[in-house]
Amino acid sequence: MARITAGIGTSHIPAIGAALDQGKAHEDYWQPVFKGYQWTKKWISEEKIDVVILVYNDHASAFDMNIIPTFAIGCAEQFKPADEGWGARPVPDIIGHPDLAWHIAQSCVLDEFDMTIINKMDVDHGLTVPLSLMFGRPDVWPVKVVPIAVNVVTYPPPTGNRCWALGEAIARAVASFPENLNVQIWGTGGMSHQLQGPRAGLINQDWDKRFLDGLSGADDTLRHIPHVEYLRETGSEGIEMLMWLIMRGALGDSTKQMHRHYWVPASNTAVGHLVLRPEEKKIL
Amino acid sequence: MYIDIHKHLAQFDDIPGTCVFTAQRARQGYWLNQFCMSLMAAENRERWKSDEQAYLEAWPMSGDQKQAILDRNYNRALELGGNIYFLAKVFATDGLSFVQAVSTMTGMAVEEYQAMMQSGGRLPEGLRSIKGKY
Repeated sequence: MARITAGIGTSHIPAIGAALDQGKAHEDYWQPVFKGYQWTKKWISEEKIDVVILVYNDHASAFDMNIIPTFAIGCAEQFKPADEGWGARPVPDIIGHPDLAWHIAQSCVLDEFDMTIINKMDVDHGLTVPLSLMFGRPDVWPVKVVPIAVNVVTYPPPTGNRCWALGEAIARAVASFPENLNVQIWGTGGMSHQLQGPRAGLINQDWDKRFLDGLSGADDTLRHIPHVEYLRETGSEGIEMLMWLIMRGALGDSTKQMHRHYWVPASNTAVGHLVLRPEEKKIL
Repeated sequence: MYIDIHKHLAQFDDIPGTCVFTAQRARQGYWLNQFCMSLMAAENRERWKSDEQAYLEAWPMSGDQKQAILDRNYNRALELGGNIYFLAKVFATDGLSFVQAVSTMTGMAVEEYQAMMQSGGRLPEGLRSIKGKY
């Protein structure tokens, strides 16, 4: 049977991708950002993962204003890195896992999550930057990827509770996949940042750190944070943190923190990163 | 839990210096954003760069929206239904990074804005709510 063995949360800031692609990672500005990923790079190289379910959002790359799916699942054999206006990132194509992706799609629909099935899409920095952060610059990505794209651009995005519950449904789907696969789920985006208007540049370190705290253990308070709190406290683009809740929901009743990293700034944004293991509920 | 959409939307007017991309703005900005999206194609970028005014004529945008784009007045474009990830296609074509473009919306010079980010970013104190002043 397939099983979810770990969850990763990470920001997916495009400037991080640019820094890596242009060989600037050693520069003073970037050192503290990348330092916090060294533990994970080593750990992940020993984890023997088959598939990553990668939750991210499209930033007007694959989806324009004509199609706005709330939850979309990529079922294709492969996905190309998108040209976001600066040219496509020089990273390998992303290899999908259509069998698992279609299985999750079917299972989720019957579980009352009406996923949009995508058979052709380019994937932008939201998906490729986390891969680069964990795996560096390989010729071929060492894992297959099931992309899950969440609308956090046009309001309303899904509620936090719905995201958490989708994670739970994904976990049920993975657990019923007959092949023996080691699966991770990643939630990406955030942390606090605002890219627009006179309030641009907003960062809320205290709030971000409380959010990171709340993802470990058995507490599920985070699922009830309303949209307006993300907007007020974490800037207009902090709403991306909803996607971390899908990852957390998929890890079950309780989690254990393996690694954590937080740094301000990268470009306009606070960088957050977390590695979690699902933890069996203790029966007393 | 049922959330009343009218109450939900009303809260967004209370956030200082922020245009939430609501359905209303998405409808108002439909062509503006689709125009931005057209700049994803290299040949369109070339046509746009050679004559911006002529390029805009093909798009059924309002006069105000066209002017905001020609002026690179991103705050105005946001008010008129533009979304930052779509507007990014315009400033990417201009060769600007997110930091450079975003700083123009804050009234700060880019160096000043970068220094603010370097020292931890803009603090949320007093910027969470217009009415509540907290």
